[in-house]
Amino acid sequence: MGTSRRTFLRGATAASAIAGFPRVARAQAKTPVKVGVVAIRAGIAAPVGTAGLRGTEWWAERVNKAGGILGRPVQLVVEEESNPKDTVERYRKLILQEKVEVVLGGISTGVTLALAPVAEDLGTPWLSWDGTTQKGVEETMPKTKWSFRSVDNEVEAIAGGLLTAKYFKGVRTIAGINNDYSYGHDCWQSYQAVLKKLGMDVRPVVELFPKLGVTDFTSHIATIQQAKPDLLMTSFWSGDATILMKQAAGVGLFKSMKGVFTTAGGVHDSLKKEFTPEGLLLGYNTMYFDDPKGSALLKQFVREYKTKYNEYPPYECDHAYFCAESWKTAVEKAAKGGQWPGKADVVKALEGLEVESLSGKRSWREDHVMMCNFYQGITTHKNSYDFVTIDPIEVISTKQAMKPAGTKLLEWIAGWKM
Amino acid sequence: MSALVSILMGGVFHASILFLVAAGLQVVFGVQKVFNLACGSFYALGAYFGVSAVQWYVAAGGPPAFFIVPLIAAGALIGVTGVIVERGLLSFVYERDETFQLLLTFAVVLMMEDAIRLTWGTAPVSTSGLYLVYGQARLAGAAVPVYNLIVIAASLVIALGIGWLLTRTAFGRIIRATADNREMAEALGVDMRRVYAKVFTLGTALGTLGGALVIPATAAMSEMGVELIVEAFAVVVIGGLGSMRGAFVGALVVGILRAVAISVYPELEMLIIYLIVITVLVFRPRGLFGGAAA
Repeated sequence: MGTSRRTFLRGATAASAIAGFPRVARAQAKTPVKVGVVAIRAGIAAPVGTAGLRGTEWWAERVNKAGGILGRPVQLVVEEESNPKDTVERYRKLILQEKVEVVLGGISTGVTLALAPVAEDLGTPWLSWDGTTQKGVEETMPKTKWSFRSVDNEVEAIAGGLLTAKYFKGVRTIAGINNDYSYGHDCWQSYQAVLKKLGMDVRPVVELFPKLGVTDFTSHIATIQQAKPDLLMTSFWSGDATILMKQAAGVGLFKSMKGVFTTAGGVHDSLKKEFTPEGLLLGYNTMYFDDPKGSALLKQFVREYKTKYNEYPPYECDHAYFCAESWKTAVEKAAKGGQWPGKADVVKALEGLEVESLSGKRSWREDHVMMCNFYQGITTHKNSYDFVTIDPIEVISTKQAMKPAGTKLLEWIAGWKM
Repeated sequence: MSALVSILMGGVFHASILFLVAAGLQVVFGVQKVFNLACGSFYALGAYFGVSAVQWYVAAGGPPAFFIVPLIAAGALIGVTGVIVERGLLSFVYERDETFQLLLTFAVVLMMEDAIRLTWGTAPVSTSGLYLVYGQARLAGAAVPVYNLIVIAASLVIALGIGWLLTRTAFGRIIRATADNREMAEALGVDMRRVYAKVFTLGTALGTLGGALVIPATAAMSEMGVELIVEAFAVVVIGGLGSMRGAFVGALVVGILRAVAISVYPELEMLIIYLIVITVLVFRPRGLFGGAAA
């Protein structure tokens, strides 16, 4: 005899009551606080969105175990980030229907550009993990009240430029392979601007901009080989970084040139030693999982992440963790006499706030921009993993490599005092 | 000279994978008159299944040099998905308007992407460094990964195999007869259900085999099929819809043109391919080899 839907539901309810009721009952002494999350879980940015969501879930579990925020347990309400139009609709739903206290997330710049004005209109704090409100290298919403945004997209290319001057001094000719959208073009432009400003006499010999999602670079690599540059720079951040590395190894590309992978640390555990040489400059964005100087919090996170997902966490986890943790701290700071604060008070408390995040201290600049450290270094095989790590590790702060409020990126670089 | 060789070899390598996917598209269209948008998804499925098979093989202690055996076996085996899609879905819409068939195969594309994500996760997966097991060959001074040469050779063997199947076997004659005149073939006693199931499975297996073959040189991403299908369209338009020879020549044209464009004027990579497509559509709408099933 089959189980009817009603019998099944009754059984499931009873089972869940036995398994989890006592704990839930205690936590629900106060009404849960709803936290909205928009995360990409499909397409090329899915690994990034998934990492952000995992970081947020880890944060929520941790907060709830410690008694919640002002005694209220956290309840995540997750919505999908897809195209700008649909994501805006889901964002509105989170605030108007679900009545969330804050929205976390947002990765694609195309989507965050669309979300920013809506966030301002709806009057609920929005802390974005990635993507910026920039179009090209120009800030489109310099003064926001409710939106808090991530670091500038080009910081890793700028950091890569600074470290190129340090590690690869003799370079004269460079080639670039970057994705054919604003991030790829901006990174290549910023990287060259930094080298120029630092007095490196370099000349670009090849500039390639394949589409996002290309899975065969054999022809691109042949073109790079033909141009014989001293160095190849790329801001590839997805599986394309892995593919480029593998196909380059197939023809021994990095035997004859240096390599700068400003962003490939996002897929770091796919960069296997078998095809990733030592001596490349590799960027991990804003969190390096294997930092020997890392905090106990980072070590705990890496350990638990590995146990749960059998992977080592990429940087997006910490963008997400910081957004959530800083909002929690701001709520606690703004609360008066244990009362839940108003949203505007939380926003005020967030401005200039510094908290301990996974990668160390992070803060919000007064103009609502995330401030943190970038980790880059030279690839090494001397570790216990089957993929490369970096040694030495270079830490570059956004204070050094991100344009200050109210400036234009390329003008700011050109104005550096050397 | 070495530069020219590496650029050409890059183009031919790309063409050999394109050929397999486009051939799958062609054989299905030629016989069943269904434009199978899902051929790119089968390619992705083959890639993922290939990675799993190779990972399993390596974990079981199989010698790395023979990884290509489980890889090809996995690519061919997962082609059986074709029977399920054909019998379980497509067979219901043969009598309906072509739009339904297009919509249905598009639905398969979307479902397959989700199924892949559910099974293998969102992060790119790859076969580690096995790509480099066979080393490099020197062709006129240019370094070419031996694995690329194996893929090119495998693609050629498959092309010849299909040629033999279509022209020298009883099954091939039935396929061609069905492609020419379905009613007549049916009247002569051909079991159309069986032919359709077999042909669709063959088309699917070509795609999955292509995906499995390419995977050691790249990494599998759930949307990789969509990327390739666009180029496969260009191949079939240039070669002629439904023609195997067309798929072969079209893939070579697209692969080599792309490689040369990237090397000479990378901004024109896509434009030049679609200029050829438009020229073919205007001056020879049936494509270079259009009209025949074989």
